[in-house]
Amino acid sequence: MKTNQANDRNDRNIREIALYATEQLKKSGADKSSCIAKKMRRDEFNIEANKFTLMRTTFDDSLVLTAIVGGRRGVSVINKHDRASIDAAATDCIALAKSGEPDDAFDIAEFVENKDFIKPEITNDRDGLFARSREYIEQVRDEFPKIIVEGFSATLTAAEEAYVNSNGVTFGSQYDAYNFHSMFVAKDGEKGTSFNYDGATFTKPNTAFLDAGMHRTLLEEAVKSLDTRMVEEKFTGKIIVTPACTDMLWGTITDNFLADRALIEGTSRWKDALGTQVADKKLTFRAAPLAEPHIITGPRWTSDGYITRDVDFISGGVLKSFALGLYGARKTGKPRADTSTYHVEVMPGDVALADIIKSTPRGILLNRFSGGSPGASGDISGVAKNSFLIENGAITDALQETMISFNILDALKNIAAISRERVTNGTTHLPWVCLDGITVSGK
Amino acid sequence: MLNDYLSAQKSLFTDHTELRAQVNTNKRVVLLAGNMVGNTQTEKSGISARVYRGGVYGFSSGAEYTPDSVKIVLKAATENARFMDENIKKGEPPLPKIENATGKVGLKKPIFDDIPQSVLINYAKNLDALIAKKYKNLSSRTVVADALYMEKLLAVGDGADSHSFQPRAMVYAWLTAETSDGVPVELFKGFSHVGRFDEFFHDSGLAAMESELDKLYEELMGKRDGVYADAGLKKCVLHPDLAGMLSHEAVGHTVEADLVLGGSVAAHSLGKQVASEKISMTDFAHTAFGKPCPLPIYVDDEGTPAEDAVLIEDGVLRGFMHSRETARHFGVKPRGNARAFEFSDEPLIRMRNTVIHPGTDKFDDLIASVDDGYFLVKTGNGQADSTGEFMFSVDLGYEIKNGKIGRAIRETTISGVAFEMLKTVDMVSDDLAWEISGFCGKKQAMTTSMGGPALRCEMNIGGR
Repeated sequence: MKTNQANDRNDRNIREIALYATEQLKKSGADKSSCIAKKMRRDEFNIEANKFTLMRTTFDDSLVLTAIVGGRRGVSVINKHDRASIDAAATDCIALAKSGEPDDAFDIAEFVENKDFIKPEITNDRDGLFARSREYIEQVRDEFPKIIVEGFSATLTAAEEAYVNSNGVTFGSQYDAYNFHSMFVAKDGEKGTSFNYDGATFTKPNTAFLDAGMHRTLLEEAVKSLDTRMVEEKFTGKIIVTPACTDMLWGTITDNFLADRALIEGTSRWKDALGTQVADKKLTFRAAPLAEPHIITGPRWTSDGYITRDVDFISGGVLKSFALGLYGARKTGKPRADTSTYHVEVMPGDVALADIIKSTPRGILLNRFSGGSPGASGDISGVAKNSFLIENGAITDALQETMISFNILDALKNIAAISRERVTNGTTHLPWVCLDGITVSGK
Repeated sequence: MLNDYLSAQKSLFTDHTELRAQVNTNKRVVLLAGNMVGNTQTEKSGISARVYRGGVYGFSSGAEYTPDSVKIVLKAATENARFMDENIKKGEPPLPKIENATGKVGLKKPIFDDIPQSVLINYAKNLDALIAKKYKNLSSRTVVADALYMEKLLAVGDGADSHSFQPRAMVYAWLTAETSDGVPVELFKGFSHVGRFDEFFHDSGLAAMESELDKLYEELMGKRDGVYADAGLKKCVLHPDLAGMLSHEAVGHTVEADLVLGGSVAAHSLGKQVASEKISMTDFAHTAFGKPCPLPIYVDDEGTPAEDAVLIEDGVLRGFMHSRETARHFGVKPRGNARAFEFSDEPLIRMRNTVIHPGTDKFDDLIASVDDGYFLVKTGNGQADSTGEFMFSVDLGYEIKNGKIGRAIRETTISGVAFEMLKTVDMVSDDLAWEISGFCGKKQAMTTSMGGPALRCEMNIGGR
């Protein structure tokens, strides 16, 4: 830890810090260099077991330095902004690069345009966040006396960021954001349910947390799950994946088939599928970091130094784009995506959720999936959590110890319906998606 | 080495206070299909303060570490504690004093002995070259070399001050091959030690690594021809590596006192039979079965001297893991389970070296005793639930037919309810394997170690 910091961090804005760091890299011998600097204050309120436990205020700085020297790349990350620390990190970064391996695919963004992204109204309303947190736990106690909020945090993040590279690219941004995350169970005497969790992000603390996205529904369903039923046989049926169950489908698709690693390694089973039908024509799945007002947390530039854009990965079931960054694109010869894979939306279908349920003779309403990380084959198996049995077109009982197994590539071609309703949490905007041909097994 | 700017501020403490200065340094090299896609060095350091008043904590942290910055962070944490106390009005009394814990618990090896990145790069390159040259039927490979250093300096209002330094060195290898119809299959192995990277990973040790990789490659070749498991409740033999995950995920998390208060099924099971009499389980502090633990903890981040926490004894649930606050709630002694990962994190109840004790059965007898079931060997991840229901991925497993290990199975998932599944354990092997290559992810990341023997039990297995 460096302890000889000059008290200069408050005298310079974040862009000047990034410019200084990039210049130091250049002076130290970088052929190409970039820097991402960030200054962030976070205020947070924590609740455990329905009681406030902690208030936190943290001051976080970060600086990510990248240098390319002779075709070799090094990355140095520190959480200091004083000049002595930056100078030392720049020296370290050059040494890292020199000790690396040359690769023609290492590069930085070329200059196109410089831009600042400033949130129009920065409110920094910590008292408002506390009031919403107190309102939340009081509403939960009143409306859902059987719910125990195991862990809750409400966070106000105020941040300034800058990206600078040696090709002259400069971006800046300033924003604040309000977020809550709640993990909860229902409890009645010795009876208890699986935990579930949910959260959302807002531009202002002007929405009751209980009213965000599916939150109230998930709490109601937790209480209904105090009595569960076990599936006592194995059958093949449908699952209706709710917007709360984000990662199982959309995270797996991007990680295993669209992103850098899978395509560089050649393990993506879609590596040669661009322009072909990979899913049912009802599916349009896209990265949408700019899709306000539903998605409000999307970054405005990529860590490679390009302005982000919304990108269709799959449109009408046809694979339209991979999710490659600069390195992956140069390595594979395929186009860059310049987007964020965490901020995604699935376009709505033309069927009401109630009608999808009515048309399901036997299946599961899947709210959460607890399973192993799917491999490159696309095989998925795991436990259906916080989920309900559908029988003869109606939701019946909450499930216990029920496993589902399927191959995600096969399932995408077997989409029975997509709901016209969608839910947003500020980061994703998703409908209910019904997949057919899923193996369901109980104990 | 961190200078002590903390002790001098104790005169400013108005309520129970913890001051912690910390530096985490991480060096990481990633070779993906022979391409060095990662060559990164990260240092995060700073100071945090946590103040307890009236049943609530105030916390603050900052990146600068100077005598002045300590005062600023301490003031901010104290103000946060006052804000919460005034607004929430819990009215709880101060935390009980920690008995017989004074002075400072020092470092065993008080040296921050850094190594250059080139050590990791050279090792990763040599290992990658070995894999590329020797194993011909791979479609891809990934090698990761990683060195994590954590140094903490702690000053507390009461309890033990401490200065600790914990380096962890890790190497991961992923091998990928394709089945005859072009479907990729993968296997992964992590190698991890507590200590400086070059103490364990050096060229003269590559031969030992090679024999482990030979085995991994052979297992992968078997997995290429793997069959889908038959879904349902099956008789299984768990490899010791999987038993370690069982001890951590399926049982360990349900007996963390914060999760007990949050609704865990274990709340109603204290003193009850929750497992077969063959099962005993302990969260060891620093010494287990007469040997140092893989991840020794001497003082936690609340200043509590670390002692073993007995969780299950002969099948009976004997206790939970605690912070100082939950220990007061349950009327027991805290045993040093409250730990924080980065300087800006508050201490949470975390496992340390959590292990199911070895039994008396021979491993070969466990396999021979199963007519129709599965031998489950490697797991990639796992997750527990407040109900005790757990899930592990199974990356490598085999059929057992008529007491003999048979065909490999494809990736699948196993699940069960911990306190029901543990009652089905009827054989426990006399060996013990520790695992320290992963991180636990309960709000913050955390280094933990886990272990166990082979177990024969009944498990719900996913498949076709």
